[in-house]
Amino acid sequence: MAAAAPRLSRRALATAAAVVALLLSVLLSLAVGARSIAPSAVLDALLHGGHSDAAEVIRQMRVPRTVIGLMVGAALALAGTVLQGITRNPIADPGILGISQGASVAVVLAIAYAGIHTLTGYVWFAFGGAAVASVAVYAIASRGRGGATPVKLALGGAAINALLVSVTMAVLTTKASALDEFRFWQVGSIAGREAQVAQQIWPFLLIGTVLVVSVARGLDALALGEDVAKGLGQNVAAVRIVGGIGATVLTGAGVAAAGPIAFVGLAVPHIARALVGSDHRWVLPMAALVGPAMLLVSDVVGRVLFPPGEVPAGVMTALIGVPFLVTLVRRKAVPA
Amino acid sequence: MSADTAVPVRTPVRPAGYRVVRIGKRGRFLVHRRAGLVAAALTVVLAAVCVAYLCVGESFVAPAEAVRVVLGQPSPDELVVGTLRLPRMVVGLLVGTAFGIAGALIQTVARNPLASPDIIGISQGASALTVGAMTFGLTSYTVLPYLSVVGGVAAAALVYAFAWRGGLHATRFVLIGIGFAIALRSVTTLFLTKGDYLVAQQAQIWMTGSLNGRGWEEAAPIGWALLVLLPAVLWAARAQRTVSMDDDTATALGVRLGRVRLGLVALGVVLASVATGTAGPVDFVALLAPQIARRMTRTAQIPLLCSALLGAVIVVFADLLARRLFSPTELPVGVLTAAVGAPYLIWLIIRGHGGRAGGNA
Repeated sequence: MAAAAPRLSRRALATAAAVVALLLSVLLSLAVGARSIAPSAVLDALLHGGHSDAAEVIRQMRVPRTVIGLMVGAALALAGTVLQGITRNPIADPGILGISQGASVAVVLAIAYAGIHTLTGYVWFAFGGAAVASVAVYAIASRGRGGATPVKLALGGAAINALLVSVTMAVLTTKASALDEFRFWQVGSIAGREAQVAQQIWPFLLIGTVLVVSVARGLDALALGEDVAKGLGQNVAAVRIVGGIGATVLTGAGVAAAGPIAFVGLAVPHIARALVGSDHRWVLPMAALVGPAMLLVSDVVGRVLFPPGEVPAGVMTALIGVPFLVTLVRRKAVPA
Repeated sequence: MSADTAVPVRTPVRPAGYRVVRIGKRGRFLVHRRAGLVAAALTVVLAAVCVAYLCVGESFVAPAEAVRVVLGQPSPDELVVGTLRLPRMVVGLLVGTAFGIAGALIQTVARNPLASPDIIGISQGASALTVGAMTFGLTSYTVLPYLSVVGGVAAAALVYAFAWRGGLHATRFVLIGIGFAIALRSVTTLFLTKGDYLVAQQAQIWMTGSLNGRGWEEAAPIGWALLVLLPAVLWAARAQRTVSMDDDTATALGVRLGRVRLGLVALGVVLASVATGTAGPVDFVALLAPQIARRMTRTAQIPLLCSALLGAVIVVFADLLARRLFSPTELPVGVLTAAVGAPYLIWLIIRGHGGRAGGNA
């Protein structure tokens, strides 16, 4: 136990640091913008209400935006962690496996053919699209010899992703009006989302998180290889299916609320693993802390970079996240 | 086996399913029998697709006439086939071949089927530099292709430099590549939002990958590049086998893994960059072609020749569809490459051939 003790304290320290970072980023997200508001005034507006301009800005605009940022960041980070675990591929994420793309296709079709033009209307389509895409990926991968092996999951995902991209592009190139509307959703942003969107997605977020956390032990076993996992008494297929459903629900919710934000799902699991090791019972909470922090900080930087315009969070996450990813990946040998 | 090994007979050691082909006195190649058959079949398919490409269009040309034009004999269809369709088809052929080889090499080194030039940052580097130049008012089509080659190579060099740490670890390389890819795409998006609407539209079309308006002027540079790189590709076909072994075995056999990997990646990067400069980043060809080829030949490593042929088939067939599917509206070829390749890959996965190899696959 002497060897385990310092590791435990290191993990606890890293987690505490991540909590502090998340709180700071929430405060930043509430305080910084076109109108800067002092942190004390932010707390005052949150706790005591009031009808000053600053209080209205915070309650009407920044609180919904921050809440959605928190939800989306956590959802995508958790989904990415689970998908990397299930496929045992370090570059798997909701984007590369076609799940985000499924949501995009559904939104494009909704705009072009169903006449849906509101964000609250998109949500259900995005959700359905993500679900259909991941069911298709799993169905393809589990056919044939050997069942749903990691390689077949990854390749099936890539093939579905490619197919869906071409459907999206074909619709967009033939329907100009849809392109005009879609490109704003597609960039990935948490700006201008109404509080209603958060209300729509939180139950899904909860369900997804429960599913994902319930397979944490199974993912640890799976990391040792399929045969070892079976030998340890894990039901490998059940772990994959439950984890996959959880990841789909989370991705659907995240993409529906904010559009396909790349990078969070890919990078955050690696950052989390570099901080707390490979035990999924630590990695999952860590990802849920780091993901939102990264998304909110990116959003804040996007607000102040080129005033009066805003750079969407989807663009900024990568620019801010890449140096982190590169440093951490270089520092440690990546578990292949 | 144990009895045979004691007898000192100089029998050539070759893996099952391979045949030694001798060229001259010293040239000897190991050729996989099934891969040879598949390559022959693919050549026939490619020829058929090419003839179809020349025949089908606004006006239909009889196959015999099309072949006459290609062979340089006088024909009434000289303008349609020889001037309009043939150059564009040749560009498509060359671009597809280059992407097919590039994808095969990069997937071999990265040991990951999801790694391809359009995922590890090469296409994105080309896009970022090209779109950046467009937004700052540089729209000359004679300079832009070279810029995108520079962008692709520079991006790959950056990725390589950051991923190198006393050796090239496959996973580290791919991860850092994807990181750079996403960051560079963000930079491109930033450029797009800064530029005016017309430039944005033009850049968008370039970024989807299109063969529209490509002719002999575009075919010549990439054709020369492929010809010059041919010896390197032959070397790569041989070196590929050593790299697909695990690191310890290869090192024990005296292979300089670092150098071989650098060589293979560099070749793949140059090919992908040249192809991107010619037609824009045509997505998914480099990802799909090697995987389909490997499943067709059922070999452990990705067959270079079949991958190149498949890349050409995918691009030419996709461009044929792109021209005709929604005519008179013409789609960019990049929209349809996935529609051509992906269903076939899905079918191969479902049928389960080659799914057993977990390592390099």
